[in-house]
Amino acid sequence: MIKPPCCSYIKSPMTTINETHGEFTKTSKTKAYRDEAIGELLTRNPVLWRGCDMSGLGNYGQPTGYPQLDDILPGRGWPHNAIVEIVSQQWGMGELQLLVPLMREIVRQDKWILWISPPYLLNSPALLQAGIDPEQILVINLNTSCKDALWSMEKALQTGSCGLVLAWQNWLPDRVVRRLQLAAETGKTLGVLFQHRISKYSQSFLRLEVKKRNNKKQQRRIGKRCERDQLAANWVETRQGDYCHKTEIVVLKARGNFRPLSVQLNLYPENLPHQQPDRYNNP
Amino acid sequence: MKEQESTPGLPLIKPSPAAADKIIPLHGRAKQPPPTAAEQTQAPSLWYALHLPQLAELTDKLQQQYLEQLAQLATGVSSSVSFHCCSLVFEVRSSLRYFGGINALHGLLAPRIVKQLQDWNLEPRFRYAASPTVTGSLLLARGDRNLLVHRRDNLRSALGRLSTDVLELNREERRRLYNMGVRRLQDLWRLPTDGLRKRFGSSFVNQLQRALGERPEPQRYYQPPPAFSSSYDLLCEVENVQLLLPVLEEFLAQLVDFLRRRDLSTSRLVVSLIHERQSCTSITMGLRQPSRCRQHLLQLLEIHFNNLAVPAPVIALKMQVVRFDAYLGQSGELLHDSGKTSAGSRRLDLFMEQLQARIGEEPVRKIASVAEHCPEYATSQQDPLLAARRAADHPCTDNPRPLWLLPEPQVLKVCNGKLYHHESLRILSGPERIETRWWSGTDVRRDYYVAQEDNGSRLWIYREKTGDRCWFLHGIFA
Repeated sequence: MIKPPCCSYIKSPMTTINETHGEFTKTSKTKAYRDEAIGELLTRNPVLWRGCDMSGLGNYGQPTGYPQLDDILPGRGWPHNAIVEIVSQQWGMGELQLLVPLMREIVRQDKWILWISPPYLLNSPALLQAGIDPEQILVINLNTSCKDALWSMEKALQTGSCGLVLAWQNWLPDRVVRRLQLAAETGKTLGVLFQHRISKYSQSFLRLEVKKRNNKKQQRRIGKRCERDQLAANWVETRQGDYCHKTEIVVLKARGNFRPLSVQLNLYPENLPHQQPDRYNNP
Repeated sequence: MKEQESTPGLPLIKPSPAAADKIIPLHGRAKQPPPTAAEQTQAPSLWYALHLPQLAELTDKLQQQYLEQLAQLATGVSSSVSFHCCSLVFEVRSSLRYFGGINALHGLLAPRIVKQLQDWNLEPRFRYAASPTVTGSLLLARGDRNLLVHRRDNLRSALGRLSTDVLELNREERRRLYNMGVRRLQDLWRLPTDGLRKRFGSSFVNQLQRALGERPEPQRYYQPPPAFSSSYDLLCEVENVQLLLPVLEEFLAQLVDFLRRRDLSTSRLVVSLIHERQSCTSITMGLRQPSRCRQHLLQLLEIHFNNLAVPAPVIALKMQVVRFDAYLGQSGELLHDSGKTSAGSRRLDLFMEQLQARIGEEPVRKIASVAEHCPEYATSQQDPLLAARRAADHPCTDNPRPLWLLPEPQVLKVCNGKLYHHESLRILSGPERIETRWWSGTDVRRDYYVAQEDNGSRLWIYREKTGDRCWFLHGIFA
């Protein structure tokens, strides 16, 4: 009998698999069982991955609420104990909308969300509309020094007292991100860092970029023939005749993933009330 | 105020040798049984009673407060102080030798009490008496005799001269006593005890027997409020505050010991670092939940010390407890689920304490929603230490609201009939009119729109209905 997957696989996966390979190639039954065992191990364990494309495999993540995004993330969702870096050219490109389903889930679990130096004031009615209880939110003001903000983030991640830690910083050096990543692993908490730019060799688990879908590049690559299709895809016509802009989410880096992937999402709610855009277009 | 020596009319019974008070037979062969509680209370003691009739007009709370302050004075001469109606009684026999006699003791205490009474704008007079029983001293003090009775044998005659008004009686009983022809206590001594018990109840007879020392008088003694203060002079000047931590660790060990003995915990401490020729640096350490765990307190102190800058070298340290709380033990949970949430909230409390120790109490805020139409006032930032108060679920508007609000609305540029923030804007929906706060002087009349910026972000903008009809950016949907 083959042993069920256990810790020894994780320590030295290659050697163990090789040994079993030599022993059990004779019968297809045992081979099937082995594949199943390995497959299970790969899907359950975020520490173990194949040296190939891993996006959308495994199920150890927390669902993001956007199925298309789940498809390109390892573990089909946000990691449980890691740092996620979200990069945007400016604040408010849709990066909070990306996290709204996650925040809703965390508040539902009666955990707290810590916001460290958000660039603007939080608006409680909007949180209520999004289904997030504002009572479960703690905010550390913007005028806190960077050192104190990072200290708070590290402590919050380490102690596991909050369900989610969000922090806004323009840029952080590698070793700081590395330290936060270790803190997140210790406290088994998800931390999200919003940044304007990132260093190339960051140690975070996942790095995403939120940007407007770049028309010109796409057009150049695809060619003039598809130009009209591209424009149509970019501005999606909704029921009420409103145009919603799609946001592009690019996975810059994910552990266990080599290929840069991107997905276009409609982050904002589409059904806006009493729309009379044309009348008021000219101020 | 009358001193007993200066009033020749008053009977002053001279003290006798203490051995004469009680003769304990010593039989060589028979084992003496241990003294019973009654015998112990009959051990020679001298109770000093202080009666302040002027307190009777004050409220109960004020009366209690004044008596407690006087009790603190009395603790200077006695360890057992008890409260009675408008009076204090304390034992002085044990401290007579130290203070050099009852007169010296009275001379020490009287000016302090008079000064205290003057501070409270009360009549600076008080009645006093001392006798071997608590009730006896009280009755003598109430009778305004200012007597000193050393021996129990003399109590009967000393008390006998008092009027029956000093006894705690209601009007009806007083009338009956008067009708019986009883004017003074000595008239009562002549009456049979059984008859008195039948007519006036046992509490009346007990009071008389207590006054004469024939019955034990259990007392509830005053416990001074706990106070903890510890200081340490350093051998040399220290600039690096991290080096002070071992001293503080020692302080905390003392504090935890102190708290454990009294079954207390603390929620506010002050640590003062004393400098030469400069005012001291003090650190106030507040706790979210009272604690007496040494590790926890030390951890918080370390965080306080980590970002502490001292203006001058430290020469001495002092730790003081500002607030004591009752100790509440943490009991384990029977069911795992409930244990999980309480452990979670405990973790959050610990984290909040650490956070406030590091960055202060100001920057950490909790969000609460307010039923208000004006977007600026719809969110309130609260102190997280306040008890979680569930706001009434007010109906939330269906109109789009952004997650982020700008602290101040930002003017948008208008160029060639187009709105510009960073890039050009396109209005997606609107308008939503908000007209409110006309009563407060700052009239709000705005038309809100949802706009899409060319770089992909969605904004919440408004146009003023009054004044220049300018366009403003107010929120970001983020």
